[in-house]
Amino acid sequence: MSHYSGNIDDFGMDTISLAGPLEAKLKAVRQAGFTQIMLAAKDIVGHPEGMEAAVAAVRASGLRVTGFQVLRDFEGLSGHLHDYKMDIAKSMLDMCHALDCRLLLVCSSTSVHATGETAALVKDLRKLAMLAIPMNIKIAYEALSWGRVVNEFPQAWEIICEADMPNLGLGFDSYHVFATGTSLDELDILDPDKIFLVQLADFMWTEIKSVEERIATARHFRVFPGEGVHSEALATLVTRLHGLGYRGDYSFEVFNDDYLQMPLPSVAERAWRSALWLGEDVLRRSVPLPNQMRLKR
Amino acid sequence: MSTATQASAADREAIPEVANPLGMDGIEFIEYTTSKPQALGQVLEMMGFRPVARHRSREVMLYRQGGMNVIVNAHIPTMPDGAAPTDKPVIAAVALRVRDAAEAYRRALDRGAWAVPSRVEVMELNIPAIHGVGKSRIYFVDRYETFSIYDVDFVPIPTVEPNPPAVAGLHFFGVVQYIGNDRTEDWTEFYRELFGFTDLPDDQRFGILPKGRILRSPCPAASRFYLQLIEPEASVLDVEGDEALQRVGLGSPDVLASVAELGKRGVEFVESRGVHTEDRGALTRTWMGSVSFELVHNER
Repeated sequence: MSHYSGNIDDFGMDTISLAGPLEAKLKAVRQAGFTQIMLAAKDIVGHPEGMEAAVAAVRASGLRVTGFQVLRDFEGLSGHLHDYKMDIAKSMLDMCHALDCRLLLVCSSTSVHATGETAALVKDLRKLAMLAIPMNIKIAYEALSWGRVVNEFPQAWEIICEADMPNLGLGFDSYHVFATGTSLDELDILDPDKIFLVQLADFMWTEIKSVEERIATARHFRVFPGEGVHSEALATLVTRLHGLGYRGDYSFEVFNDDYLQMPLPSVAERAWRSALWLGEDVLRRSVPLPNQMRLKR
Repeated sequence: MSTATQASAADREAIPEVANPLGMDGIEFIEYTTSKPQALGQVLEMMGFRPVARHRSREVMLYRQGGMNVIVNAHIPTMPDGAAPTDKPVIAAVALRVRDAAEAYRRALDRGAWAVPSRVEVMELNIPAIHGVGKSRIYFVDRYETFSIYDVDFVPIPTVEPNPPAVAGLHFFGVVQYIGNDRTEDWTEFYRELFGFTDLPDDQRFGILPKGRILRSPCPAASRFYLQLIEPEASVLDVEGDEALQRVGLGSPDVLASVAELGKRGVEFVESRGVHTEDRGALTRTWMGSVSFELVHNER
């Protein structure tokens, strides 16, 4: 590899930032220098040669799978809706397991059919985590900024604490935190060992006025950290997470319609610049860190 | 204490969940799968088990001594399901005695257990099961007092004593489960939530192999058994895929007497710097590449 390889193995890309078939995405991410990738269910089920071929491609790439996304509108349902969602959850867990992936991302429910009662949300997340235990999968619960009941990470954290399952933790997405303007001081309530994934993204405008704009921005106009107007806040966030003791993965959760019209190596190169900025300049890792040997998990 | 006082105490306190939610009452049977059932049968007979019955429709044998039932399953499934027997025997299932099997099964599914689809033949019992560690299963059995599940699915072997006594008071003491790195809390929660197991403090250990975490079943003392969860040594990387039920622990009121008795039958015990026979326990050699038994001092 020609470019400088920094000490940034804990940063990874997400397939949702790239156009094209799975194999092309895996190749571009690998060639840019990354060692891990976040996968979405559609990468696997949408493979023209079927799920097994997709799993084989992921294995052959040598990339570690950061996590698998995303189970939506899961918690708080009852009756046949609950049973239906349990089937979906099991299917997601099966795919996650087939990929040897150890993390399933679940985002907070937007459904008007779901209850907001904490006890019900806790019960469902406990059940999901229990299903994941025999497969050695962790569940990362993320507060979607347009979630109907849970839309800020302290609320998600409260439910995680109440559920009190060893394999249930927090999925933290910087976009949603900035979109809702949640104070970073709230980070201090978190146990770093229970933050299972941090997703990072920047965006181009300083303020988001409505929920509709929040959704549109999240789905179409995110950029890599350092490319938008929230660089300083992202630097602060990563520094504070590091100070808190977080040593898990950072994944670039960048939905961007323009990037889906660009050659894959160009997009991956942008992501790589972003990782270098965060790893080298923000976290100042000039020498290899001690205890950075990572077990495959 | 008068009844009236007890009633008022219950009114005033948050009474925790029932300690034994399933009415669990010990292990009904342990099942091995192997493609070499005769060889495993020889090992079991050396350990004091006797073949007592044969399955009606499959290549499955029931071995027994005292209150312990061991099933040896060499049946090759019609459809490949990843659990076809291999040369090396595998502990494929543990069956738990419970108050109400259907209720226990429903409760487990409601809390996030994976159901095992049953494949019963005509006139056979449908024993509900959930997935356990690796490819193993956990069965729920509630017919063990007035008549047994073996009366339905098995045919007794003629002229054989159906209830051979246990050698030197042996009984099921527990099962050792190997788990992946950092998996102790996960599996502790699994057994606590689904079955009501509790973990013992680190200074409370049995036998001669004290590693890992011990979980105590909520069964009454007469049928109580334990699970031992063992993570890989800290220096071993990348073995976490290998999670499985590793060996069966047998309780003995007098380990040295049991060792002597089993020794006469040809059983060899491990004698090394780390592991050797003593009052507290003993470990047999490993047969067929995977089968060993641990003896643990336990009065019952």
